[in-house]
Amino acid sequence: MDALFEFLFKYRPLVFEQGEFALGAPGSLRVGLLAAGIVGAIAVATYTLARADSSAGERTAMAGLRVALLAVLLFCLLRPTLVLSTVVPQQNFLGILVDDSRSMQLADQDGVTRGEFVREAFDPETSQLLRELGERFTLRFFRFASDASRLEGPEELTFEGTHTDLGSALDVAREELSGVPLSGLVLLSDGADNTDRPVTESLVPLQASGVPVFTVGLGEERVEPDIELGRVELPRAVLEGSSLMVDVVVTQTGFGRATVPVIIEDDRQILAEEEVTLGPDGEPVVTRMAFQLDVTGPRRVRFRIPPQEGERVQENNARDVWIEVQGNREKILYLEGEPRFEVKFTRRAVADDENLQVVTLLRTAENKFYRMSVDDPEELAGGFPRTRAELFQYRALILGSVEASFFTQDQLQMIADFVSERGGGLLMLGGRSSFAEGGWDGTAVAEVLPVVLQDAPVTRPGQEGAAFLTELDVSPTPAGQAHAALQLGEDYEDPVARWEWLPPLTGVNRITEVKPGATALLTGALPDGGEPQVVLAHQRYGRGKALAFTAQDSWTWQMHADVPVDDNSHETLWRQILRWLVDGVPEAVSVTVDREQVESGQAVGLVATVGDSTYLEVNDARVEARITRPTGLVDTLPLEWTVERDGEYRADVVPLEEGDYEVEVVALRGDEELGRDVTYLHTAPSDDEYFGAGRRTALLQRIADETEGRYYSPSTLSSLPDDISVTGAGVTLTEERDLWDMPALFLLMITLMGAEWGFRRLRGMA
Amino acid sequence: MRTISWRRVAWTVAAFAAVGVSAGTTGSEALGTEWSALQAQQPPPPGRPSAQERADVLRLPPEDEPAGRHAFYWTRAVYSGSRGGWWGRGRPAWATDFPKGDRQFLVVLQRLVQLDAYDFENAVRLDDPELRRFPLVYAVEVGHMNLTDEEIRGLRGFLEAGGMLLVDDFWGGREWAQFEYNMARVLPNRPIVEIPPDHPLFSAHYQIDEIKQVPARGRGIRGRPTWERPDAQTPHVRGIFDEEGRLMVVINFNTDLGDAWEWAEDPYYPLEYSTFAYELGANMIVYGMSH
Repeated sequence: MDALFEFLFKYRPLVFEQGEFALGAPGSLRVGLLAAGIVGAIAVATYTLARADSSAGERTAMAGLRVALLAVLLFCLLRPTLVLSTVVPQQNFLGILVDDSRSMQLADQDGVTRGEFVREAFDPETSQLLRELGERFTLRFFRFASDASRLEGPEELTFEGTHTDLGSALDVAREELSGVPLSGLVLLSDGADNTDRPVTESLVPLQASGVPVFTVGLGEERVEPDIELGRVELPRAVLEGSSLMVDVVVTQTGFGRATVPVIIEDDRQILAEEEVTLGPDGEPVVTRMAFQLDVTGPRRVRFRIPPQEGERVQENNARDVWIEVQGNREKILYLEGEPRFEVKFTRRAVADDENLQVVTLLRTAENKFYRMSVDDPEELAGGFPRTRAELFQYRALILGSVEASFFTQDQLQMIADFVSERGGGLLMLGGRSSFAEGGWDGTAVAEVLPVVLQDAPVTRPGQEGAAFLTELDVSPTPAGQAHAALQLGEDYEDPVARWEWLPPLTGVNRITEVKPGATALLTGALPDGGEPQVVLAHQRYGRGKALAFTAQDSWTWQMHADVPVDDNSHETLWRQILRWLVDGVPEAVSVTVDREQVESGQAVGLVATVGDSTYLEVNDARVEARITRPTGLVDTLPLEWTVERDGEYRADVVPLEEGDYEVEVVALRGDEELGRDVTYLHTAPSDDEYFGAGRRTALLQRIADETEGRYYSPSTLSSLPDDISVTGAGVTLTEERDLWDMPALFLLMITLMGAEWGFRRLRGMA
Repeated sequence: MRTISWRRVAWTVAAFAAVGVSAGTTGSEALGTEWSALQAQQPPPPGRPSAQERADVLRLPPEDEPAGRHAFYWTRAVYSGSRGGWWGRGRPAWATDFPKGDRQFLVVLQRLVQLDAYDFENAVRLDDPELRRFPLVYAVEVGHMNLTDEEIRGLRGFLEAGGMLLVDDFWGGREWAQFEYNMARVLPNRPIVEIPPDHPLFSAHYQIDEIKQVPARGRGIRGRPTWERPDAQTPHVRGIFDEEGRLMVVINFNTDLGDAWEWAEDPYYPLEYSTFAYELGANMIVYGMSH
């Protein structure tokens, strides 16, 4: 289409878009129009006065054609021109950025890889494109993958980069060419950017400096047939033996609705396997899978689909995720205001769990406590902790049936701080002295709870026991069905079935509403059909989380005659809830890496948060990372306070060896050790480039549009030199291009003359 | 932290005893009248109690109400066996001291332990599925028990699910053999062992350093030997543990805690014994509800 336009109008549409129209004939437009009027009037008069065998209508038609012809001629005589701003040859630079990542090795349907196309298009010996560009611009080549650098020529490309970072490529090229007149940047890529940083950030300075980016999209938009496994999200660390539930996303093109196995495995064994029926082309299918990790230490979990016959890209069938399996014994403080069977059965449910230590403080009489599972005779000897340091040594707190007035105001605030500042988990259980019935409404702790406390019913005179009592037929909400802590059996496909036959519980606290931002996971239907009770709800609060379990006798799920003696629903539920309660609870000193798995040579940020025993942030600590390399050598790296945030220290580490690194961070204040934490870092070649490897036209188009450049495909690339000449920035000059000799105008005149001649012949006047 | 000494228990029991014998006090009169009336009544026959029995005799909440209004129901095991026990007065062995002993125990227990307990007795058959709603069950005169197969299954399921059985008031080798035979049917291959003195059962609420033999009312008042048979001179607190080491059955052998609870208000019954009985009783409740 562009070629036809160029044939008729002499130039391509882009030239007309860039130029301004002008008339180049000497003299004023008024004189020209006067001359045209006179000539036109003579022509009209000639036709009007002629008295041949013609009607008035015929004469009018012929006069019209003749006037039109004269008008076109006059237009040509006025010398129409396009005024363009074109770049001065050899006065400007042009940056050519070539994607050097592994996805460029993918072959498209014609069997030519994207990399081979680039090499051919810029071959110094044979490339006309390179020659034409070279004649007009001083060329500067850049390669980019996870980073960007200058190249002498395209022959240095290796296509071995493991990530594509378009943004940093544009940044590097812009900065390197900032001191020279720059006509633009040419970006050759499949557009498969796989960094977390948005490209938009790099476009703003280009827009500001008026540098257009000409993008060239390589490869096919859809690589098919292919199956791709989506990104898998797992927690950074879990307790040994914890159940993990993960959503696995599978997308296919070209395989139809086939069924494929999804396998979860570690270095030792297959952890889970499930058959998944694929969705329509390009539509992701989500399947939920559950598994457990039983061996402590850093573990690589691999999610994979076996390669299918004829599959174009097999590397995107697997994802590796690193997770640290911790063998810690996590201490939970359980305060119960009176002997209740809930104490016995909750403790019993997790008694076999070596990773949980439920330290129990049971009030048996006023100011008399029975302590269980304490580490030493001094622990909790004075009753409930009175200092932050004493309370904050626990990772979670369970409040049973104990009234708010049992605590001092300081203790209530300390419990709230335990969640918001220390990041601990809080669980309040239902009971006659819990929630509103225990006078908790209006306290600092009520703020933390995920449920809305309703007015406690008043006990009638002479009434026995609890004022409100209802049965609760418990079932999971949709959020609960999807929650790992509420999976009671092996049959993860049907999370509701197991709940349906569990006997009803009872509740003495009326709670029907969760707070904004909180999530109800279990609800209980009332026998009289009243508004369902919220039985289990949770919410994040500050750094920690708060749970409310409003039934008072979950032990019924262990003891009831309808529950088989060997059924583990009760044990499983409490083990999972308590593990969830302590999951992710931070230490006073903790360290994270911004990416667990990197390529050797790629910088990784270490971030440590440092607090004292009361979890108050410390900014004057001496923080040091001891990094043990895969070969056993130990490096020491100081971390500096970031200033931006209290208690946050940072350093960058560049691992150079392939394998597993252990990073231990130790924080000291004076001679006092505040704490230490360990994390792991793994270096290995990455397959990220094979995920989402199809051409991302939309992204490349957007980069071009936002910088006032243009998007090209390999087939339209030949016009690039001309286009940059008229659209590029840099040193330019004003150029006038004649339009009077456009073939379209001559064709129009010939057509008008031919039309008049044909009309005469038709009417017998010639 | 304030602790509760044995003296406090003794004073509580003594005060309760004083109330029981003082004439003219409205409370004791009412209580005494009620007890007399209950003594005259026959205990409910084995089986699920009728609605009338629930309301009039057992004082249980209505049948359609879940047993959740209170945290604790002092539950007595109803079992099959020979009629026996002097104090059963011809009634089934399980009903010895019933219901006065139960009520009196609850009154004192709630003064000693911060406990939301139902104030009245609660008797449940061992073959009744309802048994599982009360994870702590008390059985007396077990030397006369002769469990049916259904009761064996019921008690076994109760214990394996996590329930605890407290046994009391049986004496000598013959009664022991009968009880041992029945327990062997319930829990085959689970041995009965002495509970060691350092077990938390003896320190859960009160520190108990010595196992005393608690005599029946008559022997206690008359100062006769505390044992009832020549082969029952040494009291024992024995237990059956599950494979995880959890205590399932507490066996008070050659002793009669129940009589001490029941007759604590008798000024002639030695305070030493009723104090010990309440201390051990409180410990069994606290321990049984937390382990």
